[in-house]
Amino acid sequence: MSAGPVVDVRSLHVRFGEVEAVAGVDLAAHAGQATGLLGRNGAGKSTTMRVLAGVVPPTAGTVLVAGHDVRTHALEVKRAVGYCPDVGGLVPRATPWEHLQLAARLRRLRGWETRARDLLERFELGDVAHRVTTGFSHGMGRRLSVVLAALHEPEVLLLDEPFDGVDPIGVEATFEVISDARSRGACVLVSTHLRELAVEACSSVLVLRGGAQVASAPAGEMTGEEGARAYRSLLD
Amino acid sequence: MPTAASWTELRRSVDDVGALLAFRAGAVRRPAAFRLSALAFVVLTGAAATLPALLPGAGSGSGYALDALLLLPTAMLGLIVLAVASAVASGGGRELLAREHAVAYPVSPSTDHLGALLLAPLNIAWILQTWLLLGAAAYGVPSAQLAPAQIGLLVWVAVATAVGQLVAWSVEAVRRTRHGVAVVRTTGAVVALAAVALQVSGRLTTLLDELGATRWMVVSYVDGFGLRWAGAIAVELVLLVAAVALGAVPAHLAARRAARDELRVESGRHPARRLPRTVLGTLVRTDRGSVWRAVPMRRGLAVLAVGPGLVALAGDLDWARMTILPGLVASGGALLFGVNAWCLDERGGLWRESLPVGAGTVFAARAWVLAEFLLIASAVTLVLGGLRAGAPGPAELTALLCTWLVVVLQVVSSAMRWSSRRPFAVDLRSARATPAPPVVMVGYSTKLAVTTTLTGLVFSGLARVPHAEVSVLVAAPFVVWSLVRLLHARDRWVDPVARARVVTTVAG
Repeated sequence: MSAGPVVDVRSLHVRFGEVEAVAGVDLAAHAGQATGLLGRNGAGKSTTMRVLAGVVPPTAGTVLVAGHDVRTHALEVKRAVGYCPDVGGLVPRATPWEHLQLAARLRRLRGWETRARDLLERFELGDVAHRVTTGFSHGMGRRLSVVLAALHEPEVLLLDEPFDGVDPIGVEATFEVISDARSRGACVLVSTHLRELAVEACSSVLVLRGGAQVASAPAGEMTGEEGARAYRSLLD
Repeated sequence: MPTAASWTELRRSVDDVGALLAFRAGAVRRPAAFRLSALAFVVLTGAAATLPALLPGAGSGSGYALDALLLLPTAMLGLIVLAVASAVASGGGRELLAREHAVAYPVSPSTDHLGALLLAPLNIAWILQTWLLLGAAAYGVPSAQLAPAQIGLLVWVAVATAVGQLVAWSVEAVRRTRHGVAVVRTTGAVVALAAVALQVSGRLTTLLDELGATRWMVVSYVDGFGLRWAGAIAVELVLLVAAVALGAVPAHLAARRAARDELRVESGRHPARRLPRTVLGTLVRTDRGSVWRAVPMRRGLAVLAVGPGLVALAGDLDWARMTILPGLVASGGALLFGVNAWCLDERGGLWRESLPVGAGTVFAARAWVLAEFLLIASAVTLVLGGLRAGAPGPAELTALLCTWLVVVLQVVSSAMRWSSRRPFAVDLRSARATPAPPVVMVGYSTKLAVTTTLTGLVFSGLARVPHAEVSVLVAAPFVVWSLVRLLHARDRWVDPVARARVVTTVAG
C-alpha cells in the first residue's frame, strides 16, 4: 500500500461555458480511508466526483487517481474506479444482471457471478435481477448503482449521493460496502448533503461551497449538535 | 364518472395551452433560427398555394390541370389517413410538455389534447402532404376560383388534423383496455389488408369516388365565393369544432387508463443470457436492448416499415420507383431515436461513461445498432413492396441495393453527427416521446427527407440504365462521403470534453 494519497486533487477547476462548477478544490484521500464530500446543492460535489471518475475532464488543475492523471489516462482511471453517479446511473431498458454483465465484460472480470449475486441479495435486489430498471423506484436505482460501483472491488470507490431516497436496509448495506472497501485498503469518497450519514461512514470530511473547498476536518468534529452548528456555519 | 370536458374546462385548457406554449417558446435554444424557420414555413406554404397557378396550363380544365383537380378529393382523404397514422403511431400525438416534466403541474387531458393538436403540423409528412394539396389545387383550379378553393382546403387541413387526433385518442383509449393491444393490432391489420385487397382488385378508386364527401367539397370550392362555398365551409367548421371538442373525450378516457404496453415493457423480465465474446458485441447487445425494448421504437418501426411497404404493394410500384422507399423509411427510423442516439442511455450515460472502454468502440456499437435498425426497417418495406413487382433485372437490383446502402449510411452519419452536436435529455419510455423537441425534429426530418429523396431519385434513374455497374460507380462517392462524415462524428465523440458535454446533457 502506498503512503501517498490515492486520490490527489490540486487546484481543480471545472467550467461549463460561463458557469464555473468547481473553482479550486484541493483534496488528498488515502487508501483505507473514507472521505466525505459535504455541501449544499450546487456546491460542486458531483462535478468533482465526475472528474474523479474520468467522466468529465478538468478545465484546470491536477487530478491523480490511483497514480493516473485523469486528463491523459482516463481509461486507466476508469479501470481503477467504481463510480455510483448522483443521478440515476442506470441504463433504462437493461436489467440489473445485464448491467453487471456489461461491467464485468468491460472490466475483464472472471468468476464475478457469485459476488454479484451476493451484492444483489445484500441490497435486496435479487428478486428483480432480471427486470428492466425503467420501472425501478428511486431507492432501488440508488442501491443498484452502489452494487455496480462495488462489483469489481475497485481501488477507488466513488459514491455520489448513495443514501438519497434509500431505505434503512439500503443505507446499512451501503455502510457495509464502504466498510468492506476500507478494510481491503480501498480509498472511498462519499459525496452527500446528509451530514449525519457522512460522518458515520467516513473518517474525514471536506466541505464545499460555491464550487470551492471551505473546510476539511476529521469526521468526529462534525458529529452531534456541535458538529451540526459547525457544518451549518460553513454552508452560509 | 364524467368523461367529457366541460366548456369551462375547455376554456381553461385553452388558457393553459397558451401558458405552455409561452413556456416552450422561452426554452427555444436558438430563437432567431426558430423565427426564421417559422417565416420560411409561411413563405413556402404561400408559395405552394400560389406559384403553381402561374405555370403554363394551370387551371385550364384539361391535361395535367384536370388530373390535378380530379385527384384533389383523394388527396384530401389521403391527408386524413396520414393525420390518423401519425397521431396513432405517436400514442395520441406529441406532448407540449414531456410527461416527466408535466407531472408537477395540473395539465389536464384536454390541455394535452389541444397541445397535441397544435404540434401535429410539426411533422414533415404532414407538411409535405399539405403543400402537395395546396399546390395541386393551385395548378388544377381556375385562377378565378383559387382563393375560395385554398381557403376551403386550409380549413380542410385543420379538419383532417383534428379528426386524426380524435381517432388517435380513441385508439389509445381502446389500446389501454384489458385486451386493447390485441384489438388495436388486429383491427389495424384487417384495415391495412382490406385496403391492399381493394387496391389490388381495382375497387379502391371506385370506393373513394362513392364516398363522395370530399368530391362535394371540391365542387363547392371551385364554384367560387357563393352560397354553395359558404355551405361547404360551414360544414367544415362544424366538423372541425366537433372533432376538436370530441377529441377531449377519448383523451380523458386514455388518461385514466394505464398505458399497458409501456407498463409491460417496464416490468418486463429478461432471463440472463451468455455474455457475447467481444467487448463490441457486449456493447451492441446493451444498445440493442435499449432500442428494441422501447415502446416508441417498436411501434414507430412497425408503422414505418409496414406502412410504405403496403402503399408500394397496393400501388404496384416497379423496382425503379422503389428506390425512393429505403430513404423514406431510414429517415423516419432515425427520427425515432437516431438523431439523439446518446439519449438511449439517459441517466445511465454517466455510469456507462465511467466504464473502462474506448470511446471509439462505444461509438461503433451505437452507430452499428442504428444502422441495423434502419436496415431491418427498410428491408421489411422492400420485401412488402416487391411482392407484386416480379423479379428485378440486374440493373434494377443493383440500383436498389446501392440506394439502400447509400441512404442508410447518409442517415447514420447525419444522425450520429447531430447526436453529438445537439444532445437532449429525453425519456423515451412513452410512445409520445420524441428524441428532440418537435421544432428541432422538423428541421432534422426535412434535411433527411431532402437528402435521401434526391439520392433515391438519382438511383431511380440509374435503375433504368441497362448497365448495373453504373449504379455501383455512382454509389462509391456517396459511400465515401458518408463514411468520412461518420468518422468526423466519431472524432467529435472521442474528444473527452465534447463527450462529457453530451453525456452530462442526456443524463439531465
